Amino acid sequence: MEGIGAQVVSLAKLVMLTMVPYVLASQGTMLAGRTGLFNVAQEGVMLVGASVAFLVAYLSGSLFYGLLAAALAGGLFGLALAYFTTTLKVNQFVIGLALFFTGLGLSTLLYKYVIGVTLQPPLIPTLGDVAIPGLSRIPFVGEILFDQNVLVYFAILLSIFLYYLLYRTSLGLELRAIGENPKAADSLGISIPIYRYVTAIVGGMLIGLAGAYLPMVYTGTFTAGIVKGRGWLAIALTFFGGWAPHLIFFGSLFFAGIEVLAFRVQVRGVAIPYQFLLMLPYVATMLIMIFASKRVGIPAALGLNYDRERRTLLD
Amino acid sequence: MSELAVQPRHNVRFLVAGFVPYLLAVVAAFLAAGIFIAAMGFNVPEAYSSILFTSFRTPTAFIQTLLKFVPLMLMALGFAVPLKANKFNIGLEGQLILGAIGATAAGILLADLPAFLLLPMAILAGILFGALWAALPAWLLYRFNINEILTTVLMNFVAFSLMDYIATEVWGDPGAGHPTTIPIAPGAYMPLLVSSPPLNAGILIALLTAVVVYIYTNRTVSGYELGATGSNPRASMVYGINTRTMFLLSLIIGGALAGLAGAIEVTGVQHRLIEGMQSNYLQLGIIIGLIAKGNIRAIPLVAFFIAVLEVGASAMQRTMMIPVEIVFIVEALILIFILLADVIRRR
Repeated sequence: MEGIGAQVVSLAKLVMLTMVPYVLASQGTMLAGRTGLFNVAQEGVMLVGASVAFLVAYLSGSLFYGLLAAALAGGLFGLALAYFTTTLKVNQFVIGLALFFTGLGLSTLLYKYVIGVTLQPPLIPTLGDVAIPGLSRIPFVGEILFDQNVLVYFAILLSIFLYYLLYRTSLGLELRAIGENPKAADSLGISIPIYRYVTAIVGGMLIGLAGAYLPMVYTGTFTAGIVKGRGWLAIALTFFGGWAPHLIFFGSLFFAGIEVLAFRVQVRGVAIPYQFLLMLPYVATMLIMIFASKRVGIPAALGLNYDRERRTLLD
Repeated sequence: MSELAVQPRHNVRFLVAGFVPYLLAVVAAFLAAGIFIAAMGFNVPEAYSSILFTSFRTPTAFIQTLLKFVPLMLMALGFAVPLKANKFNIGLEGQLILGAIGATAAGILLADLPAFLLLPMAILAGILFGALWAALPAWLLYRFNINEILTTVLMNFVAFSLMDYIATEVWGDPGAGHPTTIPIAPGAYMPLLVSSPPLNAGILIALLTAVVVYIYTNRTVSGYELGATGSNPRASMVYGINTRTMFLLSLIIGGALAGLAGAIEVTGVQHRLIEGMQSNYLQLGIIIGLIAKGNIRAIPLVAFFIAVLEVGASAMQRTMMIPVEIVFIVEALILIFILLADVIRRR
């Protein structure tokens, strides 16, 4: 029987590890959302990210190439979203759903095409922990924060960077202005298309990486059900994180906590049927959204396209 | 009021103008996917002939197509009604599952009732359960203004676990080897229109439902207010329409329609609750609703077309080993090309 201290440390470490896909997908959603572009294709883009990352890593033997490919694929979906909404002015939800479906089909199709049907799923090695020299030796904190896989570090640094970008730079101010009032931003000479394209592409890359994390850290292989609603949860998280990078980060920790808890209780064999534990993250999310609904805001132009010639917002 | 809801008369030119972009979009989607299929090294003409014509080659395949058509059309209607109010019901899957649970529960618990009561009870239970499952997200939207896309989706995941629980712990059939409930009482079986291959009367209920939905959306005051809420919420509010109530109502109707689909699947096809029976009807229902652009009259036609593609695609996977997902890409591409056709027409 290990000591309570060690148990807490290993649990906290697990929560940090589980947080990553939520952070990446949510920050990606937030980034485009802050310019008014509401992406609802996460679930599909994450599936493509997971599939592409697995396949490229499997074929090339390099996890890094796998991550790169997932980011590229996610970026392409972001580009498509930006093109259809910003250039062609198609309703954001409609094209978002169309891209979600495309991702859903494409991910399994690619896997079946490259791997085919096998009895034993092919495996890739999972992403190992990289201890940061010195810092990882700090008792407790070192093991939780500084002895993790690279994407955990990336998720933390990304959140800090986005906070700085959004609230401490003029670039961030312009970005936020577009989401709140595109007309005013436009009259100040801020290029709305450029901001929307760039944030959609970068956001898509992050969502693709969030998908890549699942085979690379959890399973070592791709299955059609691998994302399991995390893409949709990420959107919910973005909402109750008030489209703010720091709140999203803490929200992700909370989500990860629930996921770890549900899993732990299941393993321990508590008297509650495990099906009800599996419902926990979704039910908790809805409850939190009720509490957050009165307290946090959303970008005023979220989900609306901007028509520059007519200077109006379109559905 | 009612004269406002009258549609413009459709002359031939209007029909052609409406139909040609659709046809072009379908052709373009098949061409684009064809390049993809060819690049993967498969025989494109053979694959497409399987996708398009399997349904019409044998009576079995045709009836299979009709059986697919029923839930697809109902799901598409369940998406299209809230869409009229500009609300996106992505919770159709959970609502269908709850409808199936409701029908199963009635078919097992009320097994002693005579058939003329039991079958209607099972169907009503399905409709009610589906409507209730949608009512929660609808109420969250009404009361707290919480985005319905998210809450309806999250309810799907809760429904998956609930279904698993019922199919294993509550009425589980241990001999099935897959989470499945024991069968419902034969009194709750939907009567057959054709006995071999079996075609149940669910298709009549579904078509009747489509007519009722059409009359509601296009010929009643409430239906008119629903459409007005979607196209211009602010003007509707000024006019005195309670738009939040319309949002609530539209989502509940959507849930009832998906619940009916689940009830027909249980009473007509499976005669029990089987985990995974919801198939990919959610995605297809949404695609059909979006391809039809929410037009209730177009939905049965589009749903039949998609049912043909689906039956053809499974045959293609069986005989040619081409992954069935290809046809899903074709369907998504049809939607994307139709969106593009709209863009071109607007210019």
